[in-house]
Amino acid sequence: MNISQVHPVFVGESSDLDISKPLTRDQVAAIEAGMDRYAVLVFRDQPLTDEQQLEFSRNFGELEVTLAGQMAKPEDRRLGDRLELGDISNLTARNELRARDDRSRMYALANRLWHSDASFRAVGAGYTLLHGRIVPSKGANTEFADMRAAYDALDDATKAEVEDLVTEHSIVYSREQIGFNDYAEGNADRLRPVQHRLVITHPVTGRKSLYLSSHIGGIVGWPMPEARAFIRDLIEHATQPEFVYSHKWRVNDMVMWDNRTVMHRARRFNDLNEVRDLRRTSIKGTGLIVEQAPAQAAE
Amino acid sequence: MPVAIQPLHPLFAGEMSGVDITRPLARDEVSAIEAGMDRHAVLVFRNQQLTDEQQLAFTLNFGELEHTRGTGISKPGELRLDPAFADVSNLDKDNKLLARDNRRRLYSLGNRLWHSDSSFKAIPATYSLLSGRIVVDKGGETEFADMRAAYDALDAATKAEIEDLVCEHSLIYSREQLGFDDLSAEERATMRPVRQRLVRTHPVTGRKSLYLASHIGAIIGWPMPEARAFIRDLLEHATQPQFVYAHKWRQWDLVMWDNRQVMHRVRRYDETKVRDMRRTTVGGTELTVAQDALAAE
Repeated sequence: MNISQVHPVFVGESSDLDISKPLTRDQVAAIEAGMDRYAVLVFRDQPLTDEQQLEFSRNFGELEVTLAGQMAKPEDRRLGDRLELGDISNLTARNELRARDDRSRMYALANRLWHSDASFRAVGAGYTLLHGRIVPSKGANTEFADMRAAYDALDDATKAEVEDLVTEHSIVYSREQIGFNDYAEGNADRLRPVQHRLVITHPVTGRKSLYLSSHIGGIVGWPMPEARAFIRDLIEHATQPEFVYSHKWRVNDMVMWDNRTVMHRARRFNDLNEVRDLRRTSIKGTGLIVEQAPAQAAE
Repeated sequence: MPVAIQPLHPLFAGEMSGVDITRPLARDEVSAIEAGMDRHAVLVFRNQQLTDEQQLAFTLNFGELEHTRGTGISKPGELRLDPAFADVSNLDKDNKLLARDNRRRLYSLGNRLWHSDSSFKAIPATYSLLSGRIVVDKGGETEFADMRAAYDALDAATKAEIEDLVCEHSLIYSREQLGFDDLSAEERATMRPVRQRLVRTHPVTGRKSLYLASHIGAIIGWPMPEARAFIRDLLEHATQPQFVYAHKWRQWDLVMWDNRQVMHRVRRYDETKVRDMRRTTVGGTELTVAQDALAAE
């Protein structure tokens, strides 16, 4: 497997692997080793069915069920009842463009804030795999920021300060930043904050990284406004251009990333007039959890 | 010594020398400062040992004082300074450091977000003047971003898109971003959102600028989440390093800036050290856009 690095600090592109076919154990190991090193891997020209994407994803662990899918009514799910397949599109269940004030559109706009997938769960995501089926002509890049390089670039005083901090994450915190708080009844458990260490150590490489996300709304032991101002400063530090790769999508791109070592966000596009259809699968993370208080784990 | 301005940044901000602002100014000195502000948007005066009275007198050269009512959350009996001043310190009225969970401290943390002073008033401020009485030696910089250069750097499609947009500004919006919602019904009523154009034209220079602030919570006619995501993108664009000047404070610096042309924010510092900064503000004279019937003031 050939991987060429496409950014000075991270991101590799594989040129010779067909991921639509069953992989050998060696191939899986090579991809995992590539992920450990590059944190983001891009596979170009990979036409995949939903089934093939699910099968490829299962090579890397247990699939996660998407929160948006869990919270949606069955009749509103465009991709049916396979809740492991995340619908990253601007389409309704009837394959029509979502209206400007569509509630799911409002909810999804928070993906334009820097985040780490499922950090609002007690066990956040490990890998996320995103496949481009239909991409718009302009905009809609996915940007990635290397949280290992961002950690390394902190000064010693800040490293010492953040080392043992524990943050509180909830989907509510990221959504309220853009003024969205319209949740259906019965989701209280899914909205309750969970705790994570701010500095995590990758279980394989041993490298430290900042586990940042716009889902963070508090730091344990800190007044909330002070915590949020500090987290904003850290996110700004961690997303400086030298740590950021911007992925311009082509149809049949598969991009996979490790949520333990990168943050990401989507950029704006003309979503009221152009279709964007991406499908996401996520692998449950390991090595992230801090001790949860009883009844605190959202699932 | 003649009046001179030394640029501090490739685009804006200058250090003005040759003028003692503790004394009454001649008319041509005032004109030189105003012309400097039009051009540089931020002016720094070093070694100006101002009393409160002298700062007020200097400020009144540039217009009427903006009253601080509706700006802070301190009640009259809690003020350390004359109400003509915004107390940008970490001290209470007995000159003691504010505790970590002090309400005014938590409220003031909103100053670490990029903003334009009093954009939450229907008629917003023109100049702000900040005097460094006691400064910290690490952190606590004030950063400024040039909103004219930020506007100029937008692509033509974005310029066209935003030309006529009207935003809603409120202190409630900037504070809620930090999770501060400890506001009484009376305070909330005072902080009711006002409308401002997103693109302003400077009355003297005719230059356009982005009138951005973390006080923005909505764009008229847009769904709120879409408005906020867009404003965040614009704020990020407008505060790229090439548009930003970071002012490292020395004691007795007086920094004045034009809120119509720049945003600013304060950076974090060790709040176990005293930082005593005093701000006076020159009130504006005109609306940027018609208010709706319910607008504050």
